[in-house]
Amino acid sequence: MNKKLVLFLIPLVLFAFLVVFLFQGLFSDPRQLDSQADGKPVPAFSLPDLMDPSKTYDQNVFKGDVTILNVWGVWCVTCAVEMPFLTQLRQEQNVHFVGLYFDQDLDPDFGTKTLSRVQEEVTDMLSRYGNPYRFNIFDVYRDTSLDLGVTGAPEHFLIDSKGVIRMHHIGDINARVWKSKIAPLYQQLLAEKATAEQHEKGTEE
Amino acid sequence: MKKVFLLLVLMVGIYDPALAVEDNYSFADPAQRVKFLELTAVLRCPMCQNQNIADSDAMIAHDMRRKVYSLLKEGKSKEEVIAYMKDRYGDFVYYKPPVTIATVWLWALPVIFIVLIMFFVIYRRSATPEQDTAAKLEQAEAMLKQDDS
Repeated sequence: MNKKLVLFLIPLVLFAFLVVFLFQGLFSDPRQLDSQADGKPVPAFSLPDLMDPSKTYDQNVFKGDVTILNVWGVWCVTCAVEMPFLTQLRQEQNVHFVGLYFDQDLDPDFGTKTLSRVQEEVTDMLSRYGNPYRFNIFDVYRDTSLDLGVTGAPEHFLIDSKGVIRMHHIGDINARVWKSKIAPLYQQLLAEKATAEQHEKGTEE
Repeated sequence: MKKVFLLLVLMVGIYDPALAVEDNYSFADPAQRVKFLELTAVLRCPMCQNQNIADSDAMIAHDMRRKVYSLLKEGKSKEEVIAYMKDRYGDFVYYKPPVTIATVWLWALPVIFIVLIMFFVIYRRSATPEQDTAAKLEQAEAMLKQDDS
């Protein structure tokens, strides 16, 4: 090949690579980390119900249903924004939402908020924006959030009927995110659940 | 005025980042305290991504510091604490990246670049002079002939 042509092409190719690389950077979200929770069973926990602390839940509570675990708190503005849509999903498609509630009191060991105060705020918020949750798990010391790799709120975990986390979605669920990202997997998990149940019936007979 | 200025300089001089840790974590063993400070400096906050968890005031950083503290209290080693955090937040959480197929280029690319440039330079050096020396030799021959005559 012509030597001049090569000398001309080298910077051009390098420039093209640079353009592609930087163009990608325009649309990449640095907060979109590879979740470590994907494909793993829900970590072991034992936490009280937010509204009725005498009740406790553990990781087996997710078995038998396709669940969307929603990490939220009353202090989280985006949670309030997505709540009406989540409520609509529950009413229209009977989506099984469970809340993992945590409070923002910075040091739970010296937190000044009483449980009744937290409950009051939660009831107030749910009556205003709608209640999508079957029940709320109160992550008192935020240990379970840490085990799940939660970085803030709202975050969502799509859990299959065997209690395995299949998707970790950081950020809110709106109509667009639901349609493009979450609904396809949610339907797939429902189908998986149905076939598993059929299979079970088959072995019983 | 000079004295006030001097005092200010002195105060800045004795500023120690270790004193800036606001949470009151008490350690019976000073070595554990050193470990705690080292760990919170090399673990990265997943929320405010350009800060370590010692610097960040995000809630998640508070929680991670608390976790590091309790893990150290349990007698876990530094490596174990880092592994614990990586298990939950991925390689991202530790400032030192592991060598994988995706990251090995960080080390390999500069070396490849230097080797290529070296080859290029050597090639250029050995290729071009031949004509020059031939021409120069000719010139020298001519000069010698001139001298002879």
